[in-house]
Amino acid sequence: MKLAFQLAYKNLVGAGLRTWLNVGVLSFSFIVIIFYNGLIDGWNEQAKRDSIAWEFGHGQLRNAGYDPFDPFTILDGHGVLEQKQAENLTPILIRQASIYPQGRMFSVALKGIDANQTTLEIPTQALRESTAAMPVIIGKNMADAAKLETGDEVLLRWRDKDGTFDASSATIVQVFETNVPTVDNGQLWISIEKLWEMTGLQGHATLFVANEKYQPEQIPGWKYESQTELLSDITDIIATKKVSGSIMYLLLLAIALLAIFDTQVLSVFRRQKEIGTYISLGMTRAQVVGLFTVEGSMYSIFAMTVGSIIGIPLFTYLATKGIAFPTASASRDMGVAMAERIFPVFGIQLILGTILLVVIAATIVSFLPARKISKMDPVQALKGKLQ
Amino acid sequence: MTSETIISIENVFKRYPVGDGEFTALKDINLQFKRSEFAGLVGPSGSGKTTLLNIIGSLDSPTEGRAMVLGKNISELSHRESAWLRNKHIGFIFQVYNLLPVYTVFENVEFALLLQNIPADERKKAVMKALEWVGLADMAGKKPDKLSGGEGQRVAIARAMVKKPEIVIADEPSANLDAANTHAILKTMKKLNEELGTTFLFSTHDEKVMGYLERIVHLRDGYVEQDEIISPKSMTT
Repeated sequence: MKLAFQLAYKNLVGAGLRTWLNVGVLSFSFIVIIFYNGLIDGWNEQAKRDSIAWEFGHGQLRNAGYDPFDPFTILDGHGVLEQKQAENLTPILIRQASIYPQGRMFSVALKGIDANQTTLEIPTQALRESTAAMPVIIGKNMADAAKLETGDEVLLRWRDKDGTFDASSATIVQVFETNVPTVDNGQLWISIEKLWEMTGLQGHATLFVANEKYQPEQIPGWKYESQTELLSDITDIIATKKVSGSIMYLLLLAIALLAIFDTQVLSVFRRQKEIGTYISLGMTRAQVVGLFTVEGSMYSIFAMTVGSIIGIPLFTYLATKGIAFPTASASRDMGVAMAERIFPVFGIQLILGTILLVVIAATIVSFLPARKISKMDPVQALKGKLQ
Repeated sequence: MTSETIISIENVFKRYPVGDGEFTALKDINLQFKRSEFAGLVGPSGSGKTTLLNIIGSLDSPTEGRAMVLGKNISELSHRESAWLRNKHIGFIFQVYNLLPVYTVFENVEFALLLQNIPADERKKAVMKALEWVGLADMAGKKPDKLSGGEGQRVAIARAMVKKPEIVIADEPSANLDAANTHAILKTMKKLNEELGTTFLFSTHDEKVMGYLERIVHLRDGYVEQDEIISPKSMTT
């Protein structure tokens, strides 16, 4: 085997441009595969991290009547927990409401949250510290959509517990920036105590966000969803993105492998005299098949080396500096938290996995044409006759 | 010199399928070659010279009959065994040299020793010695495309001889050489034959080559037409 590697190395280096063209295409595939997967992994990590920090906490205890995907459940999907049961939980009460920025009606989810909470990164201290009669905070996407700024007043209309409409002027006390669209788009955050007062739903919450000390327990009328369960949607979306993206890099890899396959097929035909010479010098056919196969797989090793020379500084730079993304529209379009800059994660598993994939694939496509050698008549091969 | 018979061809036929029929390249060949012979198969194209050499070199096998080389029945050898026989005991010299183009002269000559897993320092010594035999020690680092025809064939001789085989098979070694180079390589081969006791078997229709042979086997249409002893060495018993 060592001999096959020595000979394959010499043959490939000796083949010059043909080798380096194949290596160039293959190393480009290496870089694209690792980059794309690193980017997706980085996005995945960031989306999970931000979703935990801004929305999911360490889990959520939801009222059994509330379904986050069904807005009709908001009206009745709330309830009260005993004080002991509510320990280490941040209550959130969701009500439907409308605002009228510049006279336009804008439907919103009015979310009451404990202004003293520290579980989520939503800057609720602004609600606590404000002296406005009805302070609210909104996300940047919401502010852009409704054309609202900090300090603006906007007419807010809501229903109380009996379904009676009420309205008042709310003051935007802070516009916060977040990568998590589900705490931003179409949402108005208000102190839960204020919301209780406005709706008459004293002590009620639609859901509770758990902190790290919370120990889940069975509570009738409530359903606990762990952090993992809450993150599963993100994981699924990212996995789907990964699959769709992989089509692109598999195509690229297929082109690179096709180039190797073509080179190998051509080699087996063009180098028949050489094959005959190897056999006449005492190599077995299996050794010659092995040599040609190793030559093919060595393209991937060369490509790995070239890819490392280009990829290591490039990936280090990207992992450190991140990649800028147009977040506002991207977050809305993707439905997943997306930061302004995504920091790709190039894990050892990704790199080793890619290397293994490319080396195995290159070996297989090299072996297929090389198998022909095992059926070759060495006498005809020495004459250079096509077989 | 020893009288040991190292090649024995007994009632050998070689047939190839051609269209619906077959072509008989060798017809009932019976020959023996002793150690250190300097012999040639001579005849026109299609007379079966190369076919017979290929069988002796274990690159091919007879359709019928028995070809014994160094005590091995060629027909009964597996791919691995015949590769081993070629690697250890048989050197080949081809009409077009068949040097490996991406290797240097040194690496071309070294190749057979690499297959034998000989340590690097021993390989180096053997290769340089072989290159000295053929007068190309100063060209060890050159690639084959930088060599003249005569130099290329001398590298091929060095490659065949470096492992000190018992048999060297030379198929039309002078076909691409001018007269001066033909004489030069023949002298080299003759010298090696005498110094190392290697058996040389040629196929040729070049009269310059024939002038060096000690035994000439004339082939025509697959038959042995005449087996002619030229010099007494082959007669040694």
